Amino acid sequence: MPNKLFWILLILPLACAPIIYLAGRLPGIRGQHNRQTSLSRWLLMLVLAGCLYALARLYPAILSGEQTAVSLGTVSFQFDGISLVLVGSTLILGFFCTWFSGRYLAAETGEEKYYALFAILTGSIICLVTATDLFTLWLCFELMAVSTYTLVAFHRHNAAALEAGVKYLVQSALGSVFVILGIALVFGEKGTLAISALKSAGAASPGLLAAGGLFLIGFGIKAAIVPLHTWLPDAHSQAPSGMSAMLSGVVISAGLVAMLRALSTLGVPSTVWGCAFLALGAINMLAGNLLALRQVEVKRMLAYSSISHIGYLLTGLGLALNKGVLSGGEGAFFHLMTHAVMKGLAFLSAGALLYALLPHDGSRGPLKLPDIQGTARKYPLVALAFSAALLALGGLPPLAGFMSKWVIFTAGFAARDGWMTAAVIFMALNSVLSLAYYAPLVNRLYQRKMSDVVESGAAVPLSMSVPLALLALATLVIGFYPAILQPIYQLAGKNLLALFF
Amino acid sequence: MPAILTLSTILIPWLGAVVVWALGEKRQHLAGPAAVVFSGLAGLAALLLYPAASAESVIDLPMGDAFGNLTLRPDGLACLLVAIATVIGCLAVIFSLDYMRGEHQLTRYYAFILLFIGAMTGLVLSGSLLYLFFFWEITALSSYALISFNNDDPKAVRGGIKALIMTQVGGAGLLAGALALYAATGSFQIDLVLAAPAAIPGGVLAFAAFGFLVAAAAKSAQFPFQTWLPDAMEAPTPISALIHAATMVNAGVYLLARFYPAFADVPGWKTAVIVVGVVTAISAALMAIVAGDLKRVLAYSTVSQLGYMVYAIGLGAQTAVQFHLLSHAIFKALLFLSAGAVIHSVGTRDLERMGGLGKKMPFIRAAFVVGALALAGIPILNGFWSKELILEAGLEYGPAWGYWLMLIGAGLTALYSLRVTWLVFYGMPRTELHIHPAGKAMKTSLLVLTVGSFTSWLLVAVVTKISHLTLPYHKVDEISIGTLVKEILANPGTITALLTILGGAAIWVIFMRFQNLPKFLRWTIRPIQSSFGMEAINTGITRVVGFTAEKLRKTQTGLLSWNLVYIVIALILTIVLLGVGA
Repeated sequence: MPNKLFWILLILPLACAPIIYLAGRLPGIRGQHNRQTSLSRWLLMLVLAGCLYALARLYPAILSGEQTAVSLGTVSFQFDGISLVLVGSTLILGFFCTWFSGRYLAAETGEEKYYALFAILTGSIICLVTATDLFTLWLCFELMAVSTYTLVAFHRHNAAALEAGVKYLVQSALGSVFVILGIALVFGEKGTLAISALKSAGAASPGLLAAGGLFLIGFGIKAAIVPLHTWLPDAHSQAPSGMSAMLSGVVISAGLVAMLRALSTLGVPSTVWGCAFLALGAINMLAGNLLALRQVEVKRMLAYSSISHIGYLLTGLGLALNKGVLSGGEGAFFHLMTHAVMKGLAFLSAGALLYALLPHDGSRGPLKLPDIQGTARKYPLVALAFSAALLALGGLPPLAGFMSKWVIFTAGFAARDGWMTAAVIFMALNSVLSLAYYAPLVNRLYQRKMSDVVESGAAVPLSMSVPLALLALATLVIGFYPAILQPIYQLAGKNLLALFF
Repeated sequence: MPAILTLSTILIPWLGAVVVWALGEKRQHLAGPAAVVFSGLAGLAALLLYPAASAESVIDLPMGDAFGNLTLRPDGLACLLVAIATVIGCLAVIFSLDYMRGEHQLTRYYAFILLFIGAMTGLVLSGSLLYLFFFWEITALSSYALISFNNDDPKAVRGGIKALIMTQVGGAGLLAGALALYAATGSFQIDLVLAAPAAIPGGVLAFAAFGFLVAAAAKSAQFPFQTWLPDAMEAPTPISALIHAATMVNAGVYLLARFYPAFADVPGWKTAVIVVGVVTAISAALMAIVAGDLKRVLAYSTVSQLGYMVYAIGLGAQTAVQFHLLSHAIFKALLFLSAGAVIHSVGTRDLERMGGLGKKMPFIRAAFVVGALALAGIPILNGFWSKELILEAGLEYGPAWGYWLMLIGAGLTALYSLRVTWLVFYGMPRTELHIHPAGKAMKTSLLVLTVGSFTSWLLVAVVTKISHLTLPYHKVDEISIGTLVKEILANPGTITALLTILGGAAIWVIFMRFQNLPKFLRWTIRPIQSSFGMEAINTGITRVVGFTAEKLRKTQTGLLSWNLVYIVIALILTIVLLGVGA
């Protein structure tokens, strides 16, 4: 039974993508651009719900550590804790984003393509994080990247969106070239591509070190590591908001996970990667926060803040890899999940405001800070949800971000090393610095004087406000009772250490 | 029963916050009365809890492996602060009914006050360092939201963010200390640390001790972090009374008082605490003497009195600290609320424009005068007894230089108290101001606090008895009213203190005579007014960060070619570093 459920998870989204596309182009439905509902969207939500159901049924087996693996010929997939974190985040966030996107995309042409590509994105992430050999990993990584290229440039009549898409395409392609070079080097040295087999196969050589560098940079482009992050502010701010949420919440984390899997195969002592992650994490946190401070466009500010959150993830992972601290990995995966929720909520709220306040004619200007002044008076729920997301991202209790950062902080002190302690204190100070741009944004939402666009803004439909409310509730619940997610992130932390030690 | 009462002091205000928020803009006129009900109930629960104080945790909930247990422990120190927070909170809310009448977005105001009250009680009741920090951060959030309540005013927003950032930076000290203790003991429980501090490695204990000192100094606006509190006076005055005088700023003092048994033996810690307390007390008193804004004078006064409390902690005088916490909360809230009544009436905070207001608002003048006398330490009022206890402890246990400086500080306190009272209520009116009478709700709060200023010292027997019984690690002596009176009146230090206070008052009378500061002292005004250069440091840091951020923007060129160059350079660097490193 577990195997059947696993196959469903792997195959359903990918197989249904063409059906979702075709359903949107059926003769009766095609051409009705202002429909309130969309068959493609419903089908996608059904598919995601089905996958969530399969995941829920699979959950006890994964937690208990049973061998949840399937194989087709020489290609096999395995579900471990790390996969659980990412698959769960993708499916849940994906479901909310799809639910949200109904009215958002209703006026666009080609929305059936959006949902079909979204299905491919979801399916490729699921296959990516469960892959057990480097080639399948790379293949699914590519599939994920290709599906996001067009999703980023979805508003294709908008020059800025096209520019963002092209930059993202070129840089991501460069990353993929590096990765395949690295895989080739690994294959050349070791003769096999299976991740578990590679781990135990001998020590590192210069070729493998070079492969490690290629993996770090190649996957690092996707994971938005500074200085490879330059595509991210454009891409995440120009994409449709449901997609921005997915990109920031899940796709960059998937890049990070793919990097982890690839690096574990090299036989290089994990302290090397640990130190690299800590250093890169520190740079990411500071650069992300400083760059976000000056932003006037709302979605661009959120995009830069994603860069700093990747920094927090890298710090947690670095602590785990450098010193073998279990709570480092636990914290990083916990933060991955909470970041998906919080950043997803932030982007979706910004999207709701974009939808309500700015014109729908496909040439939406970016949502700027002066535009959102006084939002709370007219859109109390959206403002509350947005504030919850921003304050959670800033690490204030009683919201989710505080708890996930806390676990990473405990790791820094558990390592009993001055440098590790300094790293987490630096992280705490960066968290304070991030409040310097989150807090003014929250203030603006609650100002009494409404901006012109708020005064003349349209209503936010229920299909947008309900997902926002649910995500905000999740942020609050996780903040008060973090133990809800504990089994998941503890398993992931253990798996991380097993990968490298 | 204690468990229910303990939980009520946190959950009733929080439930109230949700209810008030849900009222929305349409029914915001109900927000105030609802808030009064909820804060009143919380105050009642706190007063009922006090006799039932216990040294044992009444709530013990496991919250997950990395988070320890959420424990709530209503002992003497906690219950005292809970009572202060809820009762004065209720009085501030009642005052707000008149003060905030006609303002907008009142649901936000009252909801955050209630959130704050619940968080403050949680902070002091918490037996777990993680949850202490959890509630600490929530108080910071509420404080920020309330300071920047009038968020159409950029000054208020700036003040709020400054307070938030500075207290959060200090909070990193608490975070670091808490985690170091966790790493050493495997638990977040505070009592574990207090019971056996010797079991913790010296380096870890010292790290935690100084980290907590940083956090406490930032939260209680002690030197060198005092610059946020005067700017926080942009908040509506009931908020200044509640948060920035009677409760939140006490959190730092509470932290030091709570952990004193563990850190007392850390080399240099007690001295550091005493130094911080003395420097703050004196510098803030000097700043209060030259400040031109009514609320700023009171803000500096708060900082100075907190300095007295911090000084007392450094001496190990637990009884004196708790007693002064109580007295100060009451008379400072009284002063702020009276000041609020004045500001509400005349529409300005500028001392230069006031004068002679006493004739037109006798009730408020009386309230303010009582508060000022208590602050100065005039006998019978509560401030006298608690300040004398601190000075006596200083004479007996502390370094001589500390005692003499704090004595001078008492004189300076009398000086600025008399100055501000005079400038507002006496003399000739300096400008024509239209007076707007104070409402019944305002007068009610002021009356209660005035009575409190006269009588709260009578509670010394109750407070010290409960603290003695429920604080096994802190040495609190039981003192009866009779003992208190005898001890203080008999002590020669008391006469010295009273003479100094009268001396301070006399200096003001002399100044008034001559209307001008003598030439040789005039150069001191500027540096004192700019917080002895601390404000310049703050501005400098903000400028540097802003400058760096602006320069960093240039790296995001927007040109694809440059992006690819960054990538290639990164790859080359990585491979080189890997080759060298591994």
